[in-house]
Amino acid sequence: MRCRKLKIVGVALALTFVWFCIRFPYEMLAVAEKIFGSPNQVDPLTLHLHGEFVESNLGTAVEPDGSVTVRLIAQQFNFVPECVVVPEGTRVRFRLTSADFVHRFSISGTDHSLEVVPGHVSESQFQFAKAGQYKTPCHEFCGAGHYDMRSRVLVVTRDRFVNPKPQERLGCAFP
Amino acid sequence: MLFLRALAGVGRIRLSAALLAVGIPFMVSGNPPLRSSSAQPPLHTPSQIAWTEQTISAASSGDAVRGLVIARRCARCHGAEGFSSDPLVPNLAGMETLTMWKQMNDFRDGKRKSAIMSIIAADLAVKDYADLAAYYAMLPTYPDPFDTRSFPQLAPASTHMAVAARLVEGGDGPRGIPPCQACHGPISHKIGAPSLAAQNSNYIQEELEEFASGHRANDINMPMRTIASLLTDDEKQALGAYYGSGLGSLPVGASVPAK
Repeated sequence: MRCRKLKIVGVALALTFVWFCIRFPYEMLAVAEKIFGSPNQVDPLTLHLHGEFVESNLGTAVEPDGSVTVRLIAQQFNFVPECVVVPEGTRVRFRLTSADFVHRFSISGTDHSLEVVPGHVSESQFQFAKAGQYKTPCHEFCGAGHYDMRSRVLVVTRDRFVNPKPQERLGCAFP
Repeated sequence: MLFLRALAGVGRIRLSAALLAVGIPFMVSGNPPLRSSSAQPPLHTPSQIAWTEQTISAASSGDAVRGLVIARRCARCHGAEGFSSDPLVPNLAGMETLTMWKQMNDFRDGKRKSAIMSIIAADLAVKDYADLAAYYAMLPTYPDPFDTRSFPQLAPASTHMAVAARLVEGGDGPRGIPPCQACHGPISHKIGAPSLAAQNSNYIQEELEEFASGHRANDINMPMRTIASLLTDDEKQALGAYYGSGLGSLPVGASVPAK
């Protein structure tokens, strides 16, 4: 009987060891995130003071490799900036974060929607097939002004889209 | 001692190494490296204030009695009871504590521009801001109806007011304008947003124009600059008239004029 008990303990310990081995990289990742911080973690209260979502960095940016990135803040009860311009037929990377509650950035007329959570940068890629103006209503109830929370994405043809300078961000004041 | 043999077994170690190796690609692909822009635009901060817990406790720990003494300096422009006689100077009676504290800080930091207020704010200590905020928050928002001094009077309802009432209570969905009362009360409040009940009409209109043009840029994450830039001039005037008439303090639905 004693031998059987030992066997059970042994198997349990072996299983625990295997579980540790599986979990180890994830635990290390969590520790590393705590020490070094993650590129997708932000402090929702200090977005305007430093980091990726300061107001001068919001809007459409064209990276050195030619890819288009759009950065937006979702907050009660609007998306900032209110309108962004992107080229047609190009893969656009959306990076959003929330300053207060959970919102959802959905682009009307398309199947694209992106959950925006405070403290975290949500990222998605989308390619607009047709030029035009797309409304982007908030699709997650966020409070008293939720039903009027929407912004616009202005999609222009590739030849009308003028690449901004590296330090420029495009908003709605586009010709 | 089965488990010791199990631990010492070479096969198990190989297994765990294999499992570890399987985990590493997941670890790497879980967080894609950030391809940040080579050049970030020059930093512009709307305000040095962030609503952290320390900030909120510092702003709301004022002494109203001490504030009353300091407020004697403010009475000349903002009125002895917080109702100003100059239509371009805001009423401070019943002003939100956090709003008041933030605006004083912004005046001192030069984030909100005013020739007079930046001098006064620089002359006071940050503790004084909290005291003043506590004092003004205590004053009643509603002027006494039997008082005959120059308090804002209720203006008669007109079509002009109906435009404002619609924006205040329902916003304008197609244009993306949220209702004013969702942040400025009375139905719900957003942190840092002032209650606009019985505010001076010219002041409201002026500030909306300043926000729209970007001359005033101290709203954190630019909600007011965004919304004010979507409003037409007529709507700004109508909103000023609406809040100046004291309608903003009435319960929901009461301000819609009868047809």
